[in-house]
Amino acid sequence: MKHSLSVLVLCGLFVSILLSTDVHAITLQQAKSTAVVGEQTNGYLGIIKPSVEVEALVKDVNSKRQQHYQRIAQKNGISTEDVAKLAAEKAIAAADKGHAYQNKQGEWQIK
Amino acid sequence: MKLPVVFVPLLIFISLQSGCSPTVKIEPPDKPIVINLNVKIEHEIKIKVDKELDNLIENEQLF
Repeated sequence: MKHSLSVLVLCGLFVSILLSTDVHAITLQQAKSTAVVGEQTNGYLGIIKPSVEVEALVKDVNSKRQQHYQRIAQKNGISTEDVAKLAAEKAIAAADKGHAYQNKQGEWQIK
Repeated sequence: MKLPVVFVPLLIFISLQSGCSPTVKIEPPDKPIVINLNVKIEHEIKIKVDKELDNLIENEQLF
């Protein structure tokens, strides 16, 4: 009886781990190559085809990006926005074929 | 002793000459001298930020 209970608990844990990883099932590279997300001109990722998992991914990536931008900005005594804009230029220039990016008019384009 | 009349204008001339000896006056400007090095500093910052961003966009988790 005690044994079967612990097995049940373990199974429950396993299922919850599976479910939690399922939320992050889509990776950034997958999202980029399917043009679900794209590079904006402000240095952050934008959502093109919204879904729960995409929104979670973009939120996570953008907050990490912001931390890095802030670190670089403080180190060099310039604004975070300026660093972000420079990053956008680089990211858009380095984007692979099939990846989406925002042009200067703010429209989505596929490279 | 009496000076000859011709010496009088000469004496006046000499005394006038020494009175207005030429001086070159250099006045420092009242405002501090500013040498603008912003261009160089900006350029250096841009190169540094450029390098750091190049490393950053290599990160597959972020870009």
